[in-house]
Amino acid sequence: MSLLEVDNIEVRYGAIRALKGMSFHVDEGEVVALLGANGAGKTTTQKTVSGMMRPTLGEIRYDGIRIDGLPAHELIHLGICHVPEGRRVFPMMTVHENLEMGAYRFKKPDQKVLKRVFELFPRLEERISQHAGTLSGGEQQMLAIGRALMGKPKLLLLDEPSMGLAPLIVAQIFEIVKEINADGVTVLIVEQNAAQALALADRGYVLETGEIVLDGTGAELLSDDRVRAAYLGEEIHA
Amino acid sequence: MSHLKRETALQVHLKRLGSCLALGVVMAMMIGKHTGSQNDYGLGFRESVLKPRIFLFLAAGVVVYLLITFWPKVAPYLSRPGVRPLAMGALTVMAGYSLLRWSDTPQLPDTKLGPLAAAARGVGELDGFTRAFFGSIVPGSYWLLFLIVFVLGGAALILRNRALGWVVAVLAVAVGVWGLSAQLALRSFLKVPDHSTGGYVQLLGYLAIAGSAAVMAYTHAESADTRGFINRVFNWRPGFPLVVLGSLTGLIALLGAGWFAPLSLNAKWWDMTNVFGSEAISALTSAYLGWLVWVLFLGTATLAAVATARRNRSLGWAAAGAGILSVLVTLVTIHDFSKVAAAKAFDGATGPWQNVGVGPWALAGAFTLLAGAGWMVASRPTVKEIIEDAADSDAIAAGTSLNVTRALLVAVIAGALFYPPTATGFWQTVLVSEIGIYVLLAIGLNVVVGWAGLLDLGFIAFYAIGSYTTAFLTGTLPVKPPSFLHLPPLAAIPFAIAICLVAGIALGTPTLRLRGDYLAIMTLGFGEIIRIALNNDVKFGFYEKVLTNGPKGAFGIPHPHIKVGPLELTWGQNSLQYWYLLLVLVVLILLAFRRLENSRLGRAWAAVREDEVAAQATGINTVRTKLLAFAIGASTSGVAGVFFASQIGYINPANFVLNNSILVVAYVVFGGMGSLPGAMAGAAALTWLPEFLKDQVPAEDRQMWIGLIILLMMIFRPQGLIPARRRAIELEGLDKPKSPTPIAVPASEGM
Repeated sequence: MSLLEVDNIEVRYGAIRALKGMSFHVDEGEVVALLGANGAGKTTTQKTVSGMMRPTLGEIRYDGIRIDGLPAHELIHLGICHVPEGRRVFPMMTVHENLEMGAYRFKKPDQKVLKRVFELFPRLEERISQHAGTLSGGEQQMLAIGRALMGKPKLLLLDEPSMGLAPLIVAQIFEIVKEINADGVTVLIVEQNAAQALALADRGYVLETGEIVLDGTGAELLSDDRVRAAYLGEEIHA
Repeated sequence: MSHLKRETALQVHLKRLGSCLALGVVMAMMIGKHTGSQNDYGLGFRESVLKPRIFLFLAAGVVVYLLITFWPKVAPYLSRPGVRPLAMGALTVMAGYSLLRWSDTPQLPDTKLGPLAAAARGVGELDGFTRAFFGSIVPGSYWLLFLIVFVLGGAALILRNRALGWVVAVLAVAVGVWGLSAQLALRSFLKVPDHSTGGYVQLLGYLAIAGSAAVMAYTHAESADTRGFINRVFNWRPGFPLVVLGSLTGLIALLGAGWFAPLSLNAKWWDMTNVFGSEAISALTSAYLGWLVWVLFLGTATLAAVATARRNRSLGWAAAGAGILSVLVTLVTIHDFSKVAAAKAFDGATGPWQNVGVGPWALAGAFTLLAGAGWMVASRPTVKEIIEDAADSDAIAAGTSLNVTRALLVAVIAGALFYPPTATGFWQTVLVSEIGIYVLLAIGLNVVVGWAGLLDLGFIAFYAIGSYTTAFLTGTLPVKPPSFLHLPPLAAIPFAIAICLVAGIALGTPTLRLRGDYLAIMTLGFGEIIRIALNNDVKFGFYEKVLTNGPKGAFGIPHPHIKVGPLELTWGQNSLQYWYLLLVLVVLILLAFRRLENSRLGRAWAAVREDEVAAQATGINTVRTKLLAFAIGASTSGVAGVFFASQIGYINPANFVLNNSILVVAYVVFGGMGSLPGAMAGAAALTWLPEFLKDQVPAEDRQMWIGLIILLMMIFRPQGLIPARRRAIELEGLDKPKSPTPIAVPASEGM
């Protein structure tokens, strides 16, 4: 059975149907990538899974429980942690305070997890008492991921972790996502940077205007002509 | 070819000079009492601007221009050690001379220094020394003395002449003491109860100038490091500043201040036994007024000083104990002798605590300060522990700021307990009905605006709900409570809290999705709905009964009353009694809120304020968090409402207008959003200011001056009087380095 099953969900912003009956699944231990252009519905999908938005139709099951319509602060207790788009750290809190906020669902932050976060992101330990707003973009993204890890996720939702970052940093972050996955965390990642995401992902889905138009393993998608044309910017002479 | 033409130097200077002169003209229009009349609207303008005085203001404008232009040349002088205290001292002396009262003489309406001196300098009964200060030899000699001290002080700073520095230090102390002694001499001559502060404030200013000169003469430093200096003083001996302050206050209380002051008498400490004779008062009081007071004072001061100097824990506790004991003995004595005075019906006294002078209260304050010094020594690490910890500079930095905070806390406690009884009736009323109540409201609004970041412009509605709840439960509204709910005012507090919690949630629920401007407008509407509903006397189609009495409001709300066994407390008309009730309420609320600030909920508020989406992503229930902010803020306001209703006795919807809501927001912003002491200081400062300005500027001009002060504050210190840690960063910029880490000074080095 899949860890996450999304079954024919529809999400609306007022009159606009952002997701038009979308279905996909994520198995335990997988890294799954959602690809698509701007406005395809990637972020909406993630927000719906993490409980920030409600689907008007359809079902979402997690670990066999129906979770659609449950609010984010309850889903987090089931182990669904969301790293929202655009980094969104608490700028006036220190790195340490940010990480502590990530463990808000527990009475006390787990020191072992904190240690692991610092292993993954040694940069954060160096800047532990610095205010998050003073960090560079890459460091903030690391902090946002580290903060989500403090909530001990089973399913980690990453929304465009590469946005606005230098290629070197992006590579570094994807490397770390791989490590996080190796720790046993299932990852659902939304990306525009298709090449990097598919190299990392076990499977991927391609979204267009609220619908899934293509799916397959990472390698399959990487070699698919349509994906190469649309997302990798290669010219195909066919 | 570029359109962007650089301004020539001449243009820049002309612009600057023009602005400065315009500033002078504006100041000319703002300063002074010039009003037009029905027949001649332009009179005020001509009086203020088209008179020779305009040249004074234009000259001030030119000085500002020169300062701006030559700032790089001026600046190095301004950072020299001693400049800031000199400036502060000079401003304080000027305030003492020109703004504050020098006597509470009923015969003289305006008893600032000038008019008083004009009246006093010819009075033959005063000694020559006093008359000389007031200008019997050279008219206006007090200003001349000030100018001499100030100019010499400035010269010493600029020339870096140490000898001159020491001379100025001595001179400044002498002039300050001279001024105070002149005021005191006048006071004992006039034989009226006196609450005026001018003499003390000018002494304070002169002491600051003396300190500046002494610092300048003593130091080798190139530029001033005020914070570093404060840190060094507090790291050297934590309780030291309190010991000095306490000893000085005590000496003034014993040697200068009046102890018992019904009309026609202003008894000093040494007159007290003569006034009462020894037979009427108890043995303790008699001993206290005879010799015990010196034993207590010198004993406590010595204990505190030795404990501080040796950093000895047990001596510290002993000093704290002696201080508290002395406070109690002093209170018993005050009660005792004023009761005897009441029995003799001195000046129509009806009970104890009346006609007491400044002296004994100041002494009680002094004992509190000394006790606080003892506590600071006892609760801080000893020298040995500091040396062991010396490597941990973070701990030392934290300890320093804790020392400063604690010293301030002790001073505030001493002031809050023992200043109000020495104030005039007018100021006691202001303290309770303006300052106290708005401090309470600001504490409540700070939760909503400062901590949770939700702008609430209808906050006064909850205050109204609290007040009307009290009126309802005490049975003073047309609609009566069921008999089992007919309660005395203080028992209404839990109900007011509960109802305001519900009202806060009722306001919060529909506004949850709104942010910023939309939220502000919605809350503003809520505030108006409540007021208008009360005013229109809510009528439903089927229920035609009068509920709230409309614009007339509720009358005869009973004053608070507590009876527990033999202890009975009744509050009446006297504001002072309410001050202490208010103090208890504020302290209870503060204790609760301090815990709240650092709780899970407090952190959730901070997270929601900084980034709502991220807060949601970390598992915070943002809906509940925001509703709790509204509810908890509202309930504080409800407590203020209960207090207000039962103190004032009558309420009507006009007490709860939009203007008050906006003022509370202004207080919180002025004080420092998200900081409890800030919100309190902001409310206190901005409610005190209009009352203070009453004596200084024409009544119609007051709002203009307050506006100017708020404007300057927002330009030069947008983070507020006492900013919260996070907000300070937000506004100062994140990259600004922290202040230099203080270094612990081993005891052997001293200052």
